[in-house]
Amino acid sequence: MTTEAPVQSHTPTASPARPGPARGRQLLLLAAIAVALVAVPLVLSEYWVFLCAQVLVYGVATQGLNILYGRTGQLSLAHATFLGGGAYTTYVVITHGYSPAVALAAVWAVSLVAGLVVAVPTLRLSGLRLALVTLAFGELFQWVIVHTTGTTGGTQGTPVDSIVAGTIDTAKPLWAYVLALCFAVPATVLALQLARTQLGRGMLAVRESELAAASAGVAIAKTKIIAFVAAALFAGTAGWLYAFTSGFLAPTDFDLFASVYLLVAVVLGGSGSVLGSWLGAAYIVLVPQLFNLLGYPTLYSLVGGAVLIVVALLVPNGLAGLLSQAVKRLTSTRGRP
Amino acid sequence: MTSPSVPASGTSALPELRVASLTVQYGAFVALQDITVSFPRGEIVGLIGPNGAGKTTLLNAVSGFSGGVSGEVHLGDRDITRVPVRDRVMAGVVRGFQTVRLLDQEDVFTNVALGTERLAQPTFVEQWLGLPRQRSARRRDHAATWEVLALLGLTADAHRPVDELPFASRRLVEVGRVLVTRPCVVLLDEPAAGLDTEGRLALEEVLRSVHRTAPSTMVLVEHDVALVARLCSSAIALDSGRLVCTGTPQDVLANAQVQRAYFGRTAHA
Repeated sequence: MTTEAPVQSHTPTASPARPGPARGRQLLLLAAIAVALVAVPLVLSEYWVFLCAQVLVYGVATQGLNILYGRTGQLSLAHATFLGGGAYTTYVVITHGYSPAVALAAVWAVSLVAGLVVAVPTLRLSGLRLALVTLAFGELFQWVIVHTTGTTGGTQGTPVDSIVAGTIDTAKPLWAYVLALCFAVPATVLALQLARTQLGRGMLAVRESELAAASAGVAIAKTKIIAFVAAALFAGTAGWLYAFTSGFLAPTDFDLFASVYLLVAVVLGGSGSVLGSWLGAAYIVLVPQLFNLLGYPTLYSLVGGAVLIVVALLVPNGLAGLLSQAVKRLTSTRGRP
Repeated sequence: MTSPSVPASGTSALPELRVASLTVQYGAFVALQDITVSFPRGEIVGLIGPNGAGKTTLLNAVSGFSGGVSGEVHLGDRDITRVPVRDRVMAGVVRGFQTVRLLDQEDVFTNVALGTERLAQPTFVEQWLGLPRQRSARRRDHAATWEVLALLGLTADAHRPVDELPFASRRLVEVGRVLVTRPCVVLLDEPAAGLDTEGRLALEEVLRSVHRTAPSTMVLVEHDVALVARLCSSAIALDSGRLVCTGTPQDVLANAQVQRAYFGRTAHA
């Protein structure tokens, strides 16, 4: 789904200016989002603020997967692996006495290289065969973590020191939330900006028709590589956030199931939609908690699976598609005399 | 038949598209055999012939979508026989498909704007960060897209998903993607196929006005000989993978072998 601004009236040669009402509505929406984001730590209990921070962390990851799968159509079962790569790189770098900023730079370097390493050999693969290769990459990562207990904590996992500076401590939910927000906002802006570019259109073309893409002159291999590396960078950044906000890493946090849940988030939210990836991230973090609160924690996977089937069969554009349909219906009935 | 009024200066600046000793072979099957022909610069050229004559194969070979090619394809003084598709597109050889290829989940605007890939786009980092060069490129791409949408009568449908559109409009969307950057060689594979009379006339008018406003060598694979006679200023006839003849549409259609191959009757019948 692209987010080209709707242009109701225009002259063909003039640069299409956005009409007033649409811009006004956008500003209103932006203000509402800002108010909601500020309200979270003021209104909610610490526990829920922590969960919201987790939503933001996973949201950075789902935005990346949405670029790779939702927008470019490349099925990856290793997205949680890139998340874990970021988290463990962070842990290893800070245990060697370097600062969180150095750790972030290292995470980006590692993600860049890992993204390329996975992307280049898979250029000729698509669909399930591509998914299988990414799966193998994920399993390799698990093997490495389990067999480097001395460095990474192995199967038992390892605690990670939070970022502490004066009153700031990311072990506290409020600061975890603020830190995550500092990355969630730019990640969202980047995801939205991508939709406004020829690169973003080229990605859609690679997803929907490689023949159409080629005939328009899109560099298909380059586009796929950019999508893979971007997804890896988003996931790695989310991993860095994960390390400092959750305080504990275990290999099972980044296994095949975690990758599948990230895919579920993108598909359920609405493949290709920036808003959808946020709704999906909220779903995979908050819904299991709801079942916990209700006292039926095991029901999540059961009900979650059923919900996914219903969405896949009946709601091709996911939650974001449902939402925009509802908004359209509301505004059109209101507009009637 | 009047030839289209292309400004002389514009036409002479166009590179000439020609193929020499072009053979396309899939295994034992020879789809095109030893074709040597120049596409008249700046004209609308009808590529005609019965089914299986090799018309689409010739388009594929020229646009880089075919394997098994031997011989040469030249654009001006550049040999593009081994040049990848993307580089041919950048050089100005842009095609449409017989079966329309669109981004079905996207809207009309996005589908047409995809064609702006040919224009000098900023680096992907500049695009993604929305730097000044990206902003001006975006304005340019949008203006070009709106312009071609207006030309094709698709302005009102710009933000409709293409899978909601009737077939005729879907065809126009693909034509729009091809024409949005006004390439110097336009290759269209049966653009009028499946259209009713009204749709054909509309398409004909669109192609004529595009050709008038931006000089190009426009090659149409077309079965409708009446349309070829009306729209094209020259024609190339193929039969069973061989070149039959070239010339004005009238001369080509009057050719005895074309009559025999194409209409299934002898010249003096």
